[in-house]
Amino acid sequence: MPNIIVLIGRVLDPSGIVFNRRAGRLFVNREEYLLQPADRCALEAALRIKEAGQPKGSPSAEVVALPRTLLPDDDVLRQAVATGADRAIHLVGAGEYTGFANADDALMARVLAAVVERLGGADLVLTGATTLDTGQGQLGPRLAEALGWPQIVDVWHVEAADGRVRAVRQEKDGFVAVEADLPAVVTVLPGVLKPRYPDGARLINVYRGVKEMANALEQWDVADLVEAQALKPLVERRGQEFPAERERGARVSGTPAQMAQTVAEALRQRVRR
Amino acid sequence: MDFTFSPEHVALRRMIREFAETEVAPIAAEIDREHKVPHDVLHKLGQIGLLGICFPQEYGGMGAGEAGYCILMEELGRVCTSTATNVGAHIGIGAMAIHLDGSEEQKRKYLVPLARGEKMAAFGLTESNAGSDAANIRTRAVREGDSWILDGGKVYITNGGYAQIITVMAVTDPALGARGGVTAFIVETDWPGFKVAREEDKMGIRGTSTAELVFEELRVPHENVLGKVGEGFVTFMRSLDMGRLTLGAAGLGGAQAALEWSVRWAKTRKQFGAELALKQSVQWMIANLATEIEALRSLVYRVAWMVDNHQPFAQLAAMCKMYGSEVASRSIDVALQIHGGLGYTRDFPIERAFRDARIAEIFEGTNEIQRIVIATNIFRDHGVRIRA
Repeated sequence: MPNIIVLIGRVLDPSGIVFNRRAGRLFVNREEYLLQPADRCALEAALRIKEAGQPKGSPSAEVVALPRTLLPDDDVLRQAVATGADRAIHLVGAGEYTGFANADDALMARVLAAVVERLGGADLVLTGATTLDTGQGQLGPRLAEALGWPQIVDVWHVEAADGRVRAVRQEKDGFVAVEADLPAVVTVLPGVLKPRYPDGARLINVYRGVKEMANALEQWDVADLVEAQALKPLVERRGQEFPAERERGARVSGTPAQMAQTVAEALRQRVRR
Repeated sequence: MDFTFSPEHVALRRMIREFAETEVAPIAAEIDREHKVPHDVLHKLGQIGLLGICFPQEYGGMGAGEAGYCILMEELGRVCTSTATNVGAHIGIGAMAIHLDGSEEQKRKYLVPLARGEKMAAFGLTESNAGSDAANIRTRAVREGDSWILDGGKVYITNGGYAQIITVMAVTDPALGARGGVTAFIVETDWPGFKVAREEDKMGIRGTSTAELVFEELRVPHENVLGKVGEGFVTFMRSLDMGRLTLGAAGLGGAQAALEWSVRWAKTRKQFGAELALKQSVQWMIANLATEIEALRSLVYRVAWMVDNHQPFAQLAAMCKMYGSEVASRSIDVALQIHGGLGYTRDFPIERAFRDARIAEIFEGTNEIQRIVIATNIFRDHGVRIRA
């Protein structure tokens, strides 16, 4: 049984794409993918929990990375292992399981619950609170429901010890400290931790599949985990629309005091609206 | 033929680019202005294994090959030539000599801490009377029992002011000269008789240490002879070949940055009612830059591939160094022209890049020396000796 499971996904490198609102299209100049920033923070949180000797009081906790959606390749999983995860499992689906290609968070939660069960459970599941591209934040809560575990979402800080998970989460009015029994699902906000860089030699070895990294990556077929009928996404993609161009700002003039007055008044109007 | 990078090299570049943009780019202007070596950055590079990038894992390295090393130099060169130079002198020539010709014991003792970045290396060849004419060195080593006593000094030694380990070339038999009379030694800089005499105040790469070193009765144990007695020149020339290739890679990064700045500026700067990008004069500059950069990129990574596949590469490494340094200087000069007055100010990185790029046409064998090497090889292939 792994001690900590981290769910990770990928996102197109924003510096390699260009929006063209007039054409209503997204142009991909350089197709490169990054680890989702919030998932990367979740991985960093997992590694820090492991290094602190939690959640079991020994520094040998096992961290396992799983994909948060169907990934055409295992690149981000290798990145996770290079960064410090002990191993990763790549999920693939073929044939009648191709519906998996359109997997939404509802469907993935069912698949991942089956994976967690197959792994013999876990103490803690960590994942990003949101995705950079689609802004989805449902995976953590849905997985917690599927497993019947408590959940804490949108956290800034998380630690686990003595069968409990303690976290600080962001709410509308400020920060709130919460606790739950393990096992639990926790989602981490992006940018709250400075994630570490991968280790150089580990990176080379995990990509070459050599030395201690030879068995760090497994591949599981979804067909062995869930019935095909269970794999119906709730979300259907019907088209795409681009948000309107942002309104141009206005130039204010006058003395500093007058300008401050004008800006304050404009902000007040906006809040009322 | 396959011109694609392997998945591990793609992942490596992603990691290095993030490191360069997050850790190096923000301090590049400051280390230039304040004339200081970025020791923090070097320490962080060592922690994640990048200071041993091309050395085997059994000696504490990363095992990413010469292609991986070129990626590191390109990405560092793209944001800060000073940092690339610190790293290049450490890996590419200082530690490289030990990697190429060190004994098993020497590699365990010296290459391992160098590859991990726990210690830093420098390469001691140049002397006041032996720059381009490297065979004319005067530093003398005399055998005394189990040791050698070194007397003399070196100038313009990159990393010389702070390196803990320096590979030094000294004359062991004046009668034989460069062929048989010169030997390489591994010197620890805390040994008695080693002194840093002065730090140069330079036009560019101001985030590096360029030092004059003095050896006074410096006792080096015989086990620190690198390679065989009398064959130091071969060791040093082989190290320089590797260094030349990666200098081309750093130039590639510098040129790439110049192109990126130019495109960004041409998109936003308006004159006579239109962006610079719409003016043919600027379009042609950009097209020329991009073409030269692609030619350089092909050359650099082809030579890296030759090194990793154990093919002779010295001739092409000389071309890499010469062409890479000149493409970098030319590209940054064009970028400066496109930016106009703004590019000439210290608010923008172009003037720093302009000063930094110039050294690459001089050090590690001036471009004139590279041309001599290239022409000598070409004529030798045609049965003509143009050099004594």
